[in-house]
Amino acid sequence: MSAPSIPVIQQTAGRGAARAAANRRKSKGAGSDRRPGWVTYAILTLVILISAYPLYFAFLLATSDSGTIAQNPIPSLIPRGEFFTNVERVLSADIHFWKALWNSVIVSTVTAVSVVFFSTLAGYSFAKLRFKGRGPLLVFVVATTAVPTQLGIVPLFIVMSELGWTGKLIAVIVPGMVTAFGVFWMTQYLEGALPYELIEAARVDGASMIRTFWHVALPAARPAAAMLGLFSFVGSWTNFFWPFIVLGPSNPTLPVAVQLLQATYFKDMSLIMAGVTLSVIPLVIVFIFAGRQLVAGIMQGAVKG
Amino acid sequence: MRKTTRKMWAAAAGVTGIALLATACGSSDSGSGEPAADGDEQITLTIGTFNEFGYEELIPEYESLNPNIKIEHKKAATADEARANINTRLAAGSGLSDIEAIEVDWLPELLQYPDKFTDLTSDEVEGRWLDWKSAQATDPEGRLLGYGTDIGPEAIAYRADLLEAAGFASDRESVAALFGGDDATWDKFFEVGKEYTAKTGKPFYDSAGAIYQGMINQVEAAYEDPDTLEITAADSAEVKDIFTTVLTASTQDKLSAGFAQWSDDWQSAFQNDGFAVMLAPGWMLGVIEGNAEGVTGWDIADVFPGGGGNWGGAFLTVPTQTEHPEEAKALAAWLTAPEQQIKAFKSKGTFPSQVEALSSQDLLGQTNEFFNNAPTGEILANRAAAVTVTPFKGPNYFAVNDAMGSALTRVDVEKTDDIDTSWTKFVEAVKALG
Amino acid sequence: MVTSTTPKLDRRPSRSPDREPRRLGFGQRLGRWDVKLSPYLYISPFFILFAIVGMFPLLYTAWVSMHQWHLIGGQGEFVGMENFLHVLQQPPFWKALRNTFSIFLLSSVPQVLLAITIAAVLDANLRAKTFWRMGVLLPFVVAPVAVSLIFGKLFADQSGLINAVLGGIGIEPIRWHADVLASHVAISSMVNFRWIGYNTLIFLAAMQAVPRELYEAAILDGAGRLRQFFSVTVPMLRPTIIFVVVTSTIGGLQIFDEPRLFDQFGLGGGDRQWMTVTMYLYEIGWGSQKSFGRAAAVAWILFIIILVIGLINFSITRRIASDSAPKSRRKQKR
Repeated sequence: MSAPSIPVIQQTAGRGAARAAANRRKSKGAGSDRRPGWVTYAILTLVILISAYPLYFAFLLATSDSGTIAQNPIPSLIPRGEFFTNVERVLSADIHFWKALWNSVIVSTVTAVSVVFFSTLAGYSFAKLRFKGRGPLLVFVVATTAVPTQLGIVPLFIVMSELGWTGKLIAVIVPGMVTAFGVFWMTQYLEGALPYELIEAARVDGASMIRTFWHVALPAARPAAAMLGLFSFVGSWTNFFWPFIVLGPSNPTLPVAVQLLQATYFKDMSLIMAGVTLSVIPLVIVFIFAGRQLVAGIMQGAVKG
Repeated sequence: MRKTTRKMWAAAAGVTGIALLATACGSSDSGSGEPAADGDEQITLTIGTFNEFGYEELIPEYESLNPNIKIEHKKAATADEARANINTRLAAGSGLSDIEAIEVDWLPELLQYPDKFTDLTSDEVEGRWLDWKSAQATDPEGRLLGYGTDIGPEAIAYRADLLEAAGFASDRESVAALFGGDDATWDKFFEVGKEYTAKTGKPFYDSAGAIYQGMINQVEAAYEDPDTLEITAADSAEVKDIFTTVLTASTQDKLSAGFAQWSDDWQSAFQNDGFAVMLAPGWMLGVIEGNAEGVTGWDIADVFPGGGGNWGGAFLTVPTQTEHPEEAKALAAWLTAPEQQIKAFKSKGTFPSQVEALSSQDLLGQTNEFFNNAPTGEILANRAAAVTVTPFKGPNYFAVNDAMGSALTRVDVEKTDDIDTSWTKFVEAVKALG
Repeated sequence: MVTSTTPKLDRRPSRSPDREPRRLGFGQRLGRWDVKLSPYLYISPFFILFAIVGMFPLLYTAWVSMHQWHLIGGQGEFVGMENFLHVLQQPPFWKALRNTFSIFLLSSVPQVLLAITIAAVLDANLRAKTFWRMGVLLPFVVAPVAVSLIFGKLFADQSGLINAVLGGIGIEPIRWHADVLASHVAISSMVNFRWIGYNTLIFLAAMQAVPRELYEAAILDGAGRLRQFFSVTVPMLRPTIIFVVVTSTIGGLQIFDEPRLFDQFGLGGGDRQWMTVTMYLYEIGWGSQKSFGRAAAVAWILFIIILVIGLINFSITRRIASDSAPKSRRKQKR
C-alpha cells in the first residue's frame, strides 16, 4: 500500500489529518517513546509564544521609560535599554522590596509544603481507605470551594483579630495550609494512580497505616504532588487581596509591596512593569525545579524499585 | 529514587515546622505603649494614607520633634484599596490605624456612622480651612470629624494649538474671557464648544461624565433631600435638565470624544489630538503631562464655568478604635497645618486646602513648564476661592452617582442607548435603591 | 502491573476484595484500630483548619444574610428571607446571572478541551521537557495589573490591537466594551489565557501516571495516536477529567477579577453587560450601598447554584468518561 505523502494529505484532508498521519507514521512500530516530529514542536512553540507574550510585554515596558510608553501605545518588540535603571528604582522605592521578597518565600514555601502533605494525607484516605461517611464528606469538601471568597474576608479578619495574628505572616499562612482543592485533586489522582495491589502488598508485609502512606502512597503521588506544590506555591506567591488586608506595610508580601509602585496619579508603567518582572523571577526558578519532578512512568519506578 | 523522595519529605516537614515557629513569633503590626528609659511613655502611632500625600519627610520631622512618638506609615496604592481596607476593618471592629486618610468621595458614607470617628473639633484649627472644605467633614451636629488635607480645584486645561487652528485666540487670558471669565457659565462653555466642533469637526472635550460632574457639583442638593434624606434624584427636574443638556451637547452636537476617563482609548487620545479641552484639577495636570508626553500646546486658563469646582481631596480622621486619640489628634493637626501642607505640596503637588497656605508665596509662585509655564499655583488658588457651593452628599449619594455614571456611559461612551431610554433606566435603578 | 498479565483498565476502587481479619491478638487489635481510626486522623487536619477558616465564614455569611446588616453600621434586625427575595427581584441580579453563565461557558469549555489536547501533546517524549511543560504555566504568574494592561491594549474599542488588525482586513471594529457578547468573549479569553496552562498541567500529571504498557499494547493492536488518545488516555483520565470539569465549573461561576478589571469603573459596563454575580455581590456589599446582608444573600444563592450545576456537570462527565471504558475493555480482552 503506498500511502499518500503528508503534503497531499494536508491538501486533501486538512492540517489536522496531516498532523495525525505524520504522528501515526512516526509512532507506528516504534513504541510510545518515539520522538515526536516537527509538527508537535511547531504547535508547542505557538502555545509557548502565546503564553509568554504578556510576560515579555511586561519586560519590554520595564526596559522603556514612561515618555516612550505614552507615545507608543504598542511598543516595539525589541527591548530598550532602561531595564536596570528601572530595577534600581524599584529596589530603592519605599516599598520594603527585599523584606517582601523574603516574606513571600517563607509564606509560599510553607504553604506549598503544608498543602501537599495534608492534601496527600487526606486524598489518600478518601481515595483508598474505606470509612464511614467517606462519600458525603468528600462532596462536602468540594462544596466548600463553591463559597464566594469575597464575603469570607470580614469573618476571617475577625478570627485573625481575635487570635492577635493581624500583621503577622501566620495570618496569611494558616488559612491556606490545606485547601479543599488540594484534597480533591489528590483524591482524584490517587484514585487513578495508586493501585490497590501496591497497598495490599505493603499491608501483607505487615506495614502499619502510616508506613503504608509514607512508603507507598507518597511516592506514587509524586507527579501530582509536584503539581500541587507548584500551584500552591504560585497561588500563594501571587495572592494579593488577603495579605493586603491583613498584613501591614512593614511586613508585606511581594505583590502587596509591588502594588505600591502604583501609588501615583499618573502610573509610571516602566516602573510598575519592572516590579512585575522582578516578582516573576523567583517563580521561574521554582518552575524549573518543579518541572523536573514531572517525569514519565512513576508506576514503572514503583514496580521495579 | 524513593529514598530521596522520603528524605525530601522529611526535610520539608522539618523546614515547615521551623519556619512556622519563626514566622509565628515574627514581626507584627504596631504595638502600643512601651515604657522608655526616660519615663515618658513611648507610643507608636499608625497612619494610613493612599496615593501621594507627600508625608515622606514630614513624618520623620514630627518624630524628631516628639521623641516619645514613633510613627508607622501604612500606604495603600490607590484610594480604592484604602477604602476596601478601611471598610473591612470597620466591619470587623478592629485593626484601623490611629489616623486614617479618607477621600472626600467616600467620606459621606462613613460619616453616616459618626460614632466611629473621634470628634476633632478644636479652637486650634478654627478657621484653618476653606469653608466648603471643612463643611464636607462636619456632621449634622456640627462636630468636625476630619482635618482637610488637599483639594482639587478645577480650571480648564486646553490645547492652545487646537483652539488656534479653529480660529480662537489661544493665550490664557483670552481663553478665560472666551468662556466668560469670572462670570463663566455652562451655556457659554457649550456655545464655544459647538463653535469649535462646527469649525473643525473634532470633539471638544474628552468625556460627558467629566462635564456632568463639574455641573452637578454646583447644585446644592442634587440627589437627596438634606432634611429627610429621601432620594429625590429620579424626580428632580434639575438633574434631568443637566443630564439632558450634557448628553445633547455631547452626542447630538458631537462635543464629546466619548471616552471613559482612564481607559486605554482615553490615554491614547492624548497622543492623537483626541480633544481640545478638559476640566482639570491640580492632580490631573501630572496625568495630562504623562499621557501627553511629546505633545506641545497644553495650557491652562483661570476660568471655570459656574465659578468654581472641586474634584477630590482628602481628610485625616481619627477612628474611635484608636488607643491614643489625643496623640493622634495632635499629629493630624500638625500634618494639616498650613506650613506642613505647603511642604507636602512642594514634595508631591497636593494642593492645600488651608486658607493661609493659599496665600503663601511658595504656592502662588508655582508655575508648570509643561503647561506653557502657566502660574498654576495662582490659577488653582483663584479657582479654589471661587467655589461657593458645598453639595449635600447623604448616605445614598454615591449609589445614585454610580447609577448616573452608568447612564451617562450608556449614551456617551458605549452608545447603546439614547438619552430618554438611558434616563428611564436610571430612574429604575434609583428606585431600586430605596 | 505487578505481574505480567494484561493490565486491567477498570480502576473502580470498590472492586478490591474485603479481607476478613483473622483471630486478633493485641498487636493485631492495635492494627485494627490503626485501620479504623487512621482515615479520620488523616483527614482531620483539613477539617480542623476548615472549621475555623472555612466553616465559620460560611455560617457567618448565612447569619448575616438573614439580617438587615450594614457593612459599617453592623447588625440590624432579623429579616429572615427578605434579603433573598429582594435580590431575586432585582433585574441586575438576573443580568449578572446571564453574564456569568455566558462567560462560564465561553471559558470552561475551551479550557477543558484545549488543556487536555495540549497536555496530550506535552505527554510525548520531548526534548527539553521542562521548558515546554513549564512554559505553559507562565500566564498564571503574570500579575493582574500587567494582564489588564495588555488585554486592555488588545481589546480597546478604538485604539486596540485587535480592532486595528480587523480594520486592516476590512472588518468592522468590534465594540468590546459595549456589546454584550463581545465583552464576554474578551473576558473569557483573559480567563482562558490564565487558566489553560494550569489545567494542562493537571492533565499532564495524570497522564504521567498512565502506564506505558497500555500504549504499547494499543500500538501493537494497530491503534494510531488519535485512537490511543481516545481509547487509552481518556478513560484512564476519568477521575482527572471529573476533577477539572468540577473545579472549572466552580471557578467559572465565580469569575471576578477579570471582568472587574475590564474597565475603569469596575461595575461591569454602563448597562451591566459583563457584570458577573460575584461582581454584583461585591457592589452590593462593598460599594455604595454597603448592604452586607443582601450581599450575603447573593453569596448563598450563588453557592446553591454552583452546587447544582457542579453536580450536574459531575454526573454528565462521569457518564461520558465511563462510556469509553467498556469499549476499550472489550478491545483489550484476548
